[in-house]
Amino acid sequence: MLKTTLRPGIAALALLTAAPGVMAQDLMIGLRAGPDSIDPHWSTLGSQAEALRHVFDTVVDVDDKLQLKPGLALSWEAIDDTTWDFTLREGVTFHDGSPFTAEDVKFSIERIPEVTGPMPMTLYTKYVDSVEVVDDYTLRVKTKGRAPSLPNDFTRLFVVPSETGMEARNEEFNSGEKAIGTGPYKFVSWQPKGDMVLTRNDDYWGDAPAWENVTRREIPDDAARVAALKSGQVDLINYVPATDYVAMQNDSSLETSVSDSIYILNIAPSVKDEVPQPIKVNGKEIDVNPLQDLRVRKALDYAIDRKTLVRVVLEGLGTPANQLMPEGFFGYSDKLGEREYDIEQAKSLLAEAGYPDGFEIDFTCTNNRVPGDAVVCEALAQMWSKLGLTVNAQALNGTVYFPAAAREEYTMTMSAWGTLTGEAAYTYGALVHTKDAEKGFGNFNRSGYTNPEFDKVFGEGSQTLEAEPRRKLYEEASYIAMEDRALIPTVILQTVWASKAGELDFPPRVDQETRAYEITPE
Amino acid sequence: MFGYLIGRLAQAVVVVFAMSIIVFVGVYAIGNPIDVMIDPGATQEIRENLIRQYGLDQPLWRQYFTFVSNIFQGDFGRSMVYNISVTSLVFSRLPATVELVLVSVVIATLIGIPAGLYAGYKPKSPGAKLIMALSVLGFSVPTFWIGMLLIMGFAVELGWLPSGGRGEVARFLWFDTSLATSNGWSHVIMPAINLSLFKMGLLIRLTRAGMVEAMGAEYVRFARAQGLPDRQIVFSHILRNISIPIVTVFGLELGSTLAFAVVTETVFNWPGVGKLIIDSILQLDRPVMVSYLVMVVVLFVMINLIVDLVYARLDPRVRLKGGA
Repeated sequence: MLKTTLRPGIAALALLTAAPGVMAQDLMIGLRAGPDSIDPHWSTLGSQAEALRHVFDTVVDVDDKLQLKPGLALSWEAIDDTTWDFTLREGVTFHDGSPFTAEDVKFSIERIPEVTGPMPMTLYTKYVDSVEVVDDYTLRVKTKGRAPSLPNDFTRLFVVPSETGMEARNEEFNSGEKAIGTGPYKFVSWQPKGDMVLTRNDDYWGDAPAWENVTRREIPDDAARVAALKSGQVDLINYVPATDYVAMQNDSSLETSVSDSIYILNIAPSVKDEVPQPIKVNGKEIDVNPLQDLRVRKALDYAIDRKTLVRVVLEGLGTPANQLMPEGFFGYSDKLGEREYDIEQAKSLLAEAGYPDGFEIDFTCTNNRVPGDAVVCEALAQMWSKLGLTVNAQALNGTVYFPAAAREEYTMTMSAWGTLTGEAAYTYGALVHTKDAEKGFGNFNRSGYTNPEFDKVFGEGSQTLEAEPRRKLYEEASYIAMEDRALIPTVILQTVWASKAGELDFPPRVDQETRAYEITPE
Repeated sequence: MFGYLIGRLAQAVVVVFAMSIIVFVGVYAIGNPIDVMIDPGATQEIRENLIRQYGLDQPLWRQYFTFVSNIFQGDFGRSMVYNISVTSLVFSRLPATVELVLVSVVIATLIGIPAGLYAGYKPKSPGAKLIMALSVLGFSVPTFWIGMLLIMGFAVELGWLPSGGRGEVARFLWFDTSLATSNGWSHVIMPAINLSLFKMGLLIRLTRAGMVEAMGAEYVRFARAQGLPDRQIVFSHILRNISIPIVTVFGLELGSTLAFAVVTETVFNWPGVGKLIIDSILQLDRPVMVSYLVMVVVLFVMINLIVDLVYARLDPRVRLKGGA
């Protein structure tokens, strides 16, 4: 009844509206998430940085493996223990025509604490003590103590003109009035959770982008995003869900690209004297914490069949992980071999530790944070049950999980961690180092893990300004933490992009960013 | 009449107050929004500064008091995620939802009521049976599934309609609405149909039930005996008599659709308020959650009030008394 009544109407409407034709100069991207604001100093959110990179440039840029490369700064150098000099690019202009100088960088650094929100950018300026403009193209930064990772922090330091003024807030940026950067695209318009419209900056200092007009449309729902691509509304989408990825392999009109991401699902066993959720043997709570025993942690590790996790649970969209960062990152240890699946050895280790019949333990994970977190969680519980453990797996919404995890209410957890800066200090400093508010380490160390040997090597690394010796120390620290099973890495998640076949040339990035100016027509 | 209005508004104030307390305590119990939002690299010092900056270190009663006193000054607060005022955030997305809901309600009414009347007028005919069967489908098949089917059919396979989004908008009176452009209509029609199916099913069944009952009533037999044509009996006598339950359900449905059209909005990527509130819940954006739910309560109270006023217009036996 419904169909016959409405079909003529729909057909008529369809005739009235020309299909949104895609011209060679226009690129329409469907994204899972976009920015929360056009103010580049408002939030550290990944999707925020990804979007605003089109309009604003950062002082230091990163390549597709998250390793540093020149941005607005051509080079940088530590001239003494607490001083960094940045040599800036000459001849760069803002979208309003005014020249870019060191004064603008200084202003941007000083603006951050004034305007930043609940995901504070002060994180990237926490080592900055003072900023001095030596000349138009030289910036001198005095740091609080030695700060070898300052250039890494500046990969998220977006530069706005010093004429912006300290009073400008999100509204002025959202309206476009203050959305003036040096980036490859000029800002046209944006709606919260809606479209971000951009037009090419023909005076860009780098390679000219291929597309004249770019629209970044937010489509948070996975199925809707896939439908938008299939119906031709958008040219490219990110975060294709695993099930659609499998289906797309048989669809010749679509093309997918896959890349390892920076996100790794890690298990964090609490090694405190008293665990927040009791561990039971034969139904009785026990006084000791078995997770304090390295043999038990190793047993948990050996019982994980990572290849099955990838092949079966994640539909092939993952890579077995043996440490907290992907290969090629600063501080990645080559000495750590592949993690073996060995259930027999796991059982004997557990028996050696005094738990031949296993124990009962709670295991809590996120269920909406990254693709596959809930299914991996359940699969792990099954794998451990082969070891003789009774695992009460619970996958929770991040809204519930994170506050409770921060209160350290869980005995054993699994969540995703991404090494956003591409180097070890960010990850091992926050997750593995002993909790130390003064030094700013161990903020996300919720398992109570502490290892003086690790702290010593890592601490030395964090005080070493020369890159190569520092890399060696971080590699050593990674090795120590992983051999000690401070955390147990499981799989590196992969990200999938999809586009119409044969239309776009798209280099996938490990940081999952979709940068319009790196995409070219095929 | 005036006393009645005052009474109802006083009731509304109490409901809004109770609701705001429930929401506030509930949201407070979930936990600290900073822990959901904060970047993993942040130091303990940064975290504590933030908690202080947003007043989250204050006791619950004081946070609530601040919230209420701000509302009395017309300030619903600023979104923690977007740093723009909650009012402008909600009102930037409200027109999209309103137009979607209006179109779907019109579709549901224009199809649902005549279909229900027919099904009740000739309950034994095959047409009536078909209508009743379809109406069951209308409210038992999940919205998101029908939505996906519509998208697969009309957007992906046939390519007649866009798969989602809100098309071009143009200014009509004080609003930017997509109903003023043909491109906008092509975007709104599919989600509106999707959203209307449930209401349509409900209206069909309500109308039919009323119709069947009325057909056997004294006044209808009397009208028949008088020799009035069936058309006149149905449209000027029966319809008027059975409209009270229809208006009630219609009003409630209108309110809940306006507030929570979220499933359809998500599937069709429609930039309405439903999606906004779900995102706010996922990010624990407290000011938006609390203020929005308070606004929803106000909306429901208003709709109920209007429904009551319509009763009095429809049925002279209903008298509106103060404080009722």
